[in-house]
Amino acid sequence: MDVIRSASRFFDNLIDVPSIDPDDSRRRKLLNIILMGMFLIAIITVILSVIAKVLQFAGAENISGILIASIAGVISCFLVYLINRFWSGTIASVIFLLIFVFIITLADTLHELTNGRSIYLLSIPIIIAGVLLGSKASLAFWGVATLEFIILGYNEINLPAIMSFLWLATIAWLSARSLEHALKDLRNINAELDRRVIQRTHELTESLSRERIETGRRDAILNGIADGVVVFDQSGLAILANPSISNMIDMPLEKIIGSTINELLSSGLKAGGRETLEAQLERSSSSFSNLRIEWEKKTLLINASEVRDDRNQPTGIVAVLRDFTREAELEKMKDSFIAIVSHELRTPLNAILGYAEMFKEGVYGPMNEKQLSVTQRIMMNTQRLLSIVSDLLDQAQIQAGKLKTRMVSCVPAELLENFRGVMEKIVTDKGLPLFTELDPALPLKILGDPQRLHQIMVNLANNAVKFTDKGGITVSLLLVDKSQWCIKVSDTGRGIPSEAQKYIFESFRQVDAASTRQHGGVGLGLSIVKQLVEIMHGRIEVESKYGSGSVFTVTLPLIVNAEAQTQPIPLIEE
Amino acid sequence: MPELAMIIEDDEDLSEIFGQALTAAHFNVEIVRDGTVAQRRLKELKPDVVILDMHLPNIPGIDLLRQIREDHRLEKTRVVITTADALMGESYRNQADLVLIKPITFTQLRDLTSRLHR
Repeated sequence: MDVIRSASRFFDNLIDVPSIDPDDSRRRKLLNIILMGMFLIAIITVILSVIAKVLQFAGAENISGILIASIAGVISCFLVYLINRFWSGTIASVIFLLIFVFIITLADTLHELTNGRSIYLLSIPIIIAGVLLGSKASLAFWGVATLEFIILGYNEINLPAIMSFLWLATIAWLSARSLEHALKDLRNINAELDRRVIQRTHELTESLSRERIETGRRDAILNGIADGVVVFDQSGLAILANPSISNMIDMPLEKIIGSTINELLSSGLKAGGRETLEAQLERSSSSFSNLRIEWEKKTLLINASEVRDDRNQPTGIVAVLRDFTREAELEKMKDSFIAIVSHELRTPLNAILGYAEMFKEGVYGPMNEKQLSVTQRIMMNTQRLLSIVSDLLDQAQIQAGKLKTRMVSCVPAELLENFRGVMEKIVTDKGLPLFTELDPALPLKILGDPQRLHQIMVNLANNAVKFTDKGGITVSLLLVDKSQWCIKVSDTGRGIPSEAQKYIFESFRQVDAASTRQHGGVGLGLSIVKQLVEIMHGRIEVESKYGSGSVFTVTLPLIVNAEAQTQPIPLIEE
Repeated sequence: MPELAMIIEDDEDLSEIFGQALTAAHFNVEIVRDGTVAQRRLKELKPDVVILDMHLPNIPGIDLLRQIREDHRLEKTRVVITTADALMGESYRNQADLVLIKPITFTQLRDLTSRLHR
């Protein structure tokens, strides 16, 4: 096999002519093939002639001419080959074809050449010329053949042969031309293909390197961030995770990759947390934010969202985990701080208030007018401080989402009575009448949080008292419809400018800074009322015209609890 | 002979204020600041009115309430429950003659308890 292969390679090397012009290369290669064939024929002829001469075959006396012609053929083939190989294909082809015509001319009698059996031989150079020298060369060699006819057959010009050759030359010309065109098209297509291959290869290389850069950057970001990131594919298997998550849940990256969500969960999630997470996953399928779970000794915050491809098809879930342990501890500390402050601030304030009251009531003996007035001031300021402390604590609880309402059976008439008990003195101390109204259509007992409802009424009334100097305060409990009831607090105060109505329910806001100094408070009362009302699924509205009083209406869902109407509340064990 | 009021309250200031309020309401006052002491004193004395704080050291207020209600000797005793927890207060309404939610002022307690005389 190797012999065949190397022989074929040797042959290829022999006939190939490297050239910039592919047409030129092709033609010279073709010429070489023809030359090779003729060279072999000539060599064989030389050998056979020599053998015939040596062995004295019959008729061998005329063989000298053939021998000489064959040797000339070998030599000319070799020379033309050299010219073709190292100089010019065109010159070599012209020389070759002329020699060919010359050999044909010498090969037969004059008559046979112009009118007889050898006439067709002249068609060979005409046809070969089209292939070797370009399509138009066929016509040129038709000219050569015609010239030869004219010169050699001057006495009897063979016009039909000339016309036939012209016809043949035309066909050779046209077919060679179409071959050239076809080859040219093919080359163009090849060139275009090459260009595209190069371009695509270039693009591919670029996108690969871009990808590599992006992957590198993504990895750097993933590895650098403190949050734990894990990506699950559509089937729920982790396909990507960063070192932070590995540290966070104390599991090597190799183990995380390929695990399912459940496998990850079962490794460290505390009892209870798992149910929370599963419930969350069921509820919102795959996207949720700030879900808190207890993981071994840590508190983790999970944010998950669905990953979608550019056609908006879900391809997986990315979960980002944040170590919330420190914050959770702080929150716990804050909660206990609030509880302590709540108790520790209120207790002494209550004591101060109590002692001042006893002074005022003359428990420790009679007091003069000045002493009484000072005692009253102590009481008023303590009261104020107490309500600020309460408001701040309520606000803190609401903001922490800790304030929950406790729905129990409550009696509207009692609500109003308790409210009167607290507010009557405050309102009348300011020289204003307090009117209360209970809608007889309201059920005897409703479901609600009496403490918070009381707070809402007191806060609204306190606000009304603050800004009312004459007229009065009216508080009504009314039935709105089958499913709603309302608390309405009206005053005849100075009213709220319409632009201020937008922000009176915001924390720490008062209509103007001067009113803070004049009326006290930290601007939390209405904000707390609004938040309490919202916790109770109700709404608050204010209607006010500057200069002619305000009406605050708190509308709440009406729940009539049949059980609460009849059954006594059992003794609660502590 | 004035009626006897027993004040069961662990906070020193509050018990003083409550004591003064009940004195002003014309009661003889006995102040107890500890659950176990209260348990013992309830067996020794026969108070007409008990001001009972639900959050006490050693013995929860609810146990004392049950002790009073189960003691025939104290069947005429009126119980005033004091608590800072409004919800808890609501749940005791049926077991007490009066439930007061802290903060409780001197005048409030004085005026309310003066109505408890027989």
